[in-house]
Amino acid sequence: MDLKPANPNERRQYYREEWNVKNIPDFILKSLIQREFGFDHMGRGPNDRYRVFQNTDFLRKFMRYRAPFAAYSSVAFYHKPRRRDGWIKAELVFDVDAKDIPIRSCGCDNVCEICLNQAKDIVHGLVDTLKGDLGLSDIHMVYSGRGYHIRVLDDQVTGVDSDVRSQIVKYLVGSDVPRSEYSLAGMKYNLEHFTIPFGYPQVFTDRVKQAILALDPSMEMDGVNQKLIRDAIKYKDFLETDDWGIFRSKIGPIRYVKLIKGIASLNLTLVDAKVSIDLKRILRLPSSLHSGVSMKCTEIKNLETFEPFEDAVPKFVYERKD
Amino acid sequence: MVSISFLNPLSPEGKDIVRELGSFEGISQDIPELRSIVTHNPSQEIADDDEIPSNYLELALKRMEWYIKKKNDREFNGRRYAFLSDSAITKYDVISFYLLCQAIGVKFGPNSRETRVMVESQGDLVRERLGKLHVDEGRMMVEQSLQLLLADDTVHWTFFEELLSSRKIRLTDLILDQGELILDQEDFLQRFGPRIKHRNPESMYQLLIGDELKELIMVKLIMQETEDYIKQVHEKARIMVEPNPILLQLAEDVAEVLSEPMQHYGYGYGSGGGGGGPMKIGPLNPLAFPPCVKKAMEGIKSGGRNDAIVLFMTPFISYARLYPDVFRMNITKRVSDQDPNLESVENEILPLIYEAAQNCVPPLFDDQPQEKVNINAKLGFGMHSSLKMEHEGETTWYTPMSCEKIKLHLPHLCHPDDVCKKIGNPLSYYNRMIWEVRRQEKESSDDGQSDDGQGKSNNDNENSTEGNLKEDSKSVNDNQSADDKKGEA
Repeated sequence: MDLKPANPNERRQYYREEWNVKNIPDFILKSLIQREFGFDHMGRGPNDRYRVFQNTDFLRKFMRYRAPFAAYSSVAFYHKPRRRDGWIKAELVFDVDAKDIPIRSCGCDNVCEICLNQAKDIVHGLVDTLKGDLGLSDIHMVYSGRGYHIRVLDDQVTGVDSDVRSQIVKYLVGSDVPRSEYSLAGMKYNLEHFTIPFGYPQVFTDRVKQAILALDPSMEMDGVNQKLIRDAIKYKDFLETDDWGIFRSKIGPIRYVKLIKGIASLNLTLVDAKVSIDLKRILRLPSSLHSGVSMKCTEIKNLETFEPFEDAVPKFVYERKD
Repeated sequence: MVSISFLNPLSPEGKDIVRELGSFEGISQDIPELRSIVTHNPSQEIADDDEIPSNYLELALKRMEWYIKKKNDREFNGRRYAFLSDSAITKYDVISFYLLCQAIGVKFGPNSRETRVMVESQGDLVRERLGKLHVDEGRMMVEQSLQLLLADDTVHWTFFEELLSSRKIRLTDLILDQGELILDQEDFLQRFGPRIKHRNPESMYQLLIGDELKELIMVKLIMQETEDYIKQVHEKARIMVEPNPILLQLAEDVAEVLSEPMQHYGYGYGSGGGGGGPMKIGPLNPLAFPPCVKKAMEGIKSGGRNDAIVLFMTPFISYARLYPDVFRMNITKRVSDQDPNLESVENEILPLIYEAAQNCVPPLFDDQPQEKVNINAKLGFGMHSSLKMEHEGETTWYTPMSCEKIKLHLPHLCHPDDVCKKIGNPLSYYNRMIWEVRRQEKESSDDGQSDDGQGKSNNDNENSTEGNLKEDSKSVNDNQSADDKKGEA
């Protein structure tokens, strides 16, 4: 499918014929008056900021008549959203952009089905950790047009500051290499991350596995030479069966440490951390049109069955003549 | 049996001791029993009678002195402070702890160097005291303390929000399941036992959690409680009419104890030694810039330009030029403290930042000229289009981002070299390398001279930080967050 931009007529058609204010998820509608809205009318960035809508009808009319190039709402809740003042709390957000996945198996220039699927796998892993390790449950997933947004609204995390959010990001993406040396009663013991089937070491193991399985010989990684990347690819089948010990010994213990350090550092870019730690960010409004690629920003009910090229394509794309 | 308050003076037992004392009356009177405990401690080494604390106030100062000397004095002798680990001093120690917190809270407030030293010293003292106990007794004390501190059997990880925020602990250090922190062995075995293959689950528990993690959490929680208590005192003191003069005097004495190593060794230099006093400041030398700054100087592509120029380059360039040892000195300053006529800012700092902005693709100010105002704001001159002294202080002079923050905010800039592995902030890289560059320059100029025996470089007066940089990735204004930035995704 050709991901070309939507023209003004197509935008107008979308907002008049296809879009419905009820398609905006409840988690946004029920806090409508506490959120700031922002719009990009010309495709040059969201310059129309500080918008507030007292009810869904005002928002409906605005979208219908202005048919913006892009629409955004704040992740933050404010007492005075028009002045971005009186910050109450902010959703905890993770932005997985298919174009920015650090190890992409497709090699495409923009986004394609392969990297969007890879992004979906990453989202799966992150959501599992949010639930299983961090015990969070009010989690919403949104297809953004070029990737995925994970939006968490559990009360336990919406009040936390940027520093705590950055710690959550690091935990989730596996950007710290877990220690392998432990001591007990004066004796030193070695426990590699892959021998610990729970907690952060398990998260790290999962992320490293995901990365190695997607490795490409042309990949560049800090502190990892091409020979090491080639070897990791050569022996990656051992990871399919979780034979980490064999994989490590084939690679060599010192080179293995280099490899996982390189991956840990790349993992930081699995999500756009700036989005996660920003307490006042605006995020693409679910249900709105991503005019840059002519796709709908869509709330996902079931990630397993969601297919962007089936569920997020506006009608006008099918009606295009060229 | 050691009292919990010996480790945590803020425990109910500790509070009872304070309640018993009642008032400040007689706080500076001699306590013969305290002198007797100190002099009869078998591990105690006494070089001079004046070293023996005679009352609560002197004991309070000894606590601070112990920490400062331990950190800074290469000839530190722990036996001269052996009494601090003697549980017989508990009731005096608890009072001296409260006096210190109150004095610091009243006079300096929670964001001061004095508070930081007090909190760190309390953490170190708890560890020291635990280390001196018998293993079983220590274990029991940790268990009891944790029971009091955690208040519940099941603890959600967000309970540690403050500790995580201040980076006293890392989320990745905790063992979590369904949002709960796992500390108890039975709980651990029940949850993870069936998943553990080829290893003994009990041994795994001992290694991963055992005494170590519990002790870490207990110490960090006590440190956090200490910090919170100082904050509380400070807030109350603001509405009080007049603070007690005894506390004000103690605060001054604490400041003196803390300033001593600045005069002798340079605070924060650690036992590794090094030059004292502030570092020599001078023209910027791009050869000493870290890889991330060099990369930013080359220009940034659309998307990361604002953060790179405003949040990253502006603090780095300004501090490297004007106040390179900010983390070592740990004293908040304004630009004009270092550059009274703003000559260096106008002629060296801004031109370099503007050059980096011009190298961006597209040039940053072409489409976002308002970012010049933001640069002024990050230098501490408020949101104004020009730098004027009357605006200074309207905003904070941002300290350089730590490597950790750069990895999060600007990952594309971070391509570490070997020196990067030893530092936690690009400014530390610069300080380390500027010394190296100067040394090389001196060597090469000496090589060019005749063989007259002057070839040995003399850096004794350079006040360099080589080899002893204490990383302080927690910047002076570290609470500066992304919350003043508004982006979109």
